[in-house]
Amino acid sequence: MQETTFNELADLALRQSGQNIPASKAYLMEARLSTIARRENFATLDDLVHCLKARPNPRFEQEVAAALTGKSTCFFGDRDLLDKLVEQALPKRLEHSKTGRLRVWCAGVSTGQEAWSLAILLREAVGSPLANAEIEIIGTDLSTQCIETAKQGVYGHFDVQKGLSIHRLMTNFDRRDNGDWSIKPDLQSAVNFRRHNLLEPTRDLGQFDVIMCCNVLSGLADGARRQVIGTMSAHLLPEAFLFVGTNESVQGLSDAIKPSRALRGAFERDVANASTAAA
Amino acid sequence: MKHCLIVDDSRVVRTVAGRIVKDLSFSVSEAADGAQALEMCRAEMPDAILLDWNMPVMNGLDFLRALRREEKGKDPVVVFCTNENDSEHISEAIRAGANEYIMKPFDADIVESKFAEVGLV
Repeated sequence: MQETTFNELADLALRQSGQNIPASKAYLMEARLSTIARRENFATLDDLVHCLKARPNPRFEQEVAAALTGKSTCFFGDRDLLDKLVEQALPKRLEHSKTGRLRVWCAGVSTGQEAWSLAILLREAVGSPLANAEIEIIGTDLSTQCIETAKQGVYGHFDVQKGLSIHRLMTNFDRRDNGDWSIKPDLQSAVNFRRHNLLEPTRDLGQFDVIMCCNVLSGLADGARRQVIGTMSAHLLPEAFLFVGTNESVQGLSDAIKPSRALRGAFERDVANASTAAA
Repeated sequence: MKHCLIVDDSRVVRTVAGRIVKDLSFSVSEAADGAQALEMCRAEMPDAILLDWNMPVMNGLDFLRALRREEKGKDPVVVFCTNENDSEHISEAIRAGANEYIMKPFDADIVESKFAEVGLV
């Protein structure tokens, strides 16, 4: 891949999704775009970029940028965080709820495993106050292809064996004739998936009791991280919780959020600066 | 160091699985069928057993049922590792006392994930 090709693709990723791809990760570009390049009959990424420049196609640019995110995900990938959400965050929110309805946004959900893991945990919460709550889970991702996979809830042999116990697999999935496993029909309605770019306006998403945004921020440029945090804070209900990945930090990035007083490790909207966030 | 018995009639599978399990800090011994494995368990009960289904002399399911009837036979964590990947076989294995189930083909991440599910790592 020529240096100019790398620069064009890095610019595209930054423009479309706020990702910061350093030159040391150029090899990842080749791996992540190989499927698209093959499908579109480009011999090299240089050819792909040449085509993008010669015949601008916003939809194709969006697909290329989404493929460059390459977020790897698995079922119950951050088990401690999911446990904290189900055992602490959601019960705390339920105590404050007058309607018994809670809303959770899994942002940057890739192919959906994190959102399905949450749905599985909630299904297992028999005897918990959450058992009687009405909990809406919304999963969003930049990539249309990832969201289609997430919606279908169909995963391969290797995917379902990493993070899922055999008991959870048998309880929540049906085996297909080709060896794939699909989410059982009675769990399908537990999560709503939709394509959404975290850098774009999100007026129709509404407000949430919990937002999970794991392993998304660390790949973004500083400006994009600030923008995403600002957007998320505007979608948090007062005293609602924002969780980021275990190895990610948002402190100092934005005045719109602050560490939660009620739950260690979570963040909440800084009401004093709320107008800044919503603007 | 925990001890894992790998039971499979394929020497290649025993070798590959053995390397993966050793990397998880287990000592490893091998058996080529269920009868041989049962004798080894009677001599010394392992902490974990990675168990194939289809083997000559005694298959994995018969071995598991016999193992669970042995004194201290309920102690080892048994993880099936087999080409029998349909729901009926999996259910039957769990009913017989399997703790986890790996569907072949497998890789090191799958073995580690499944061992983690049952508290072995």
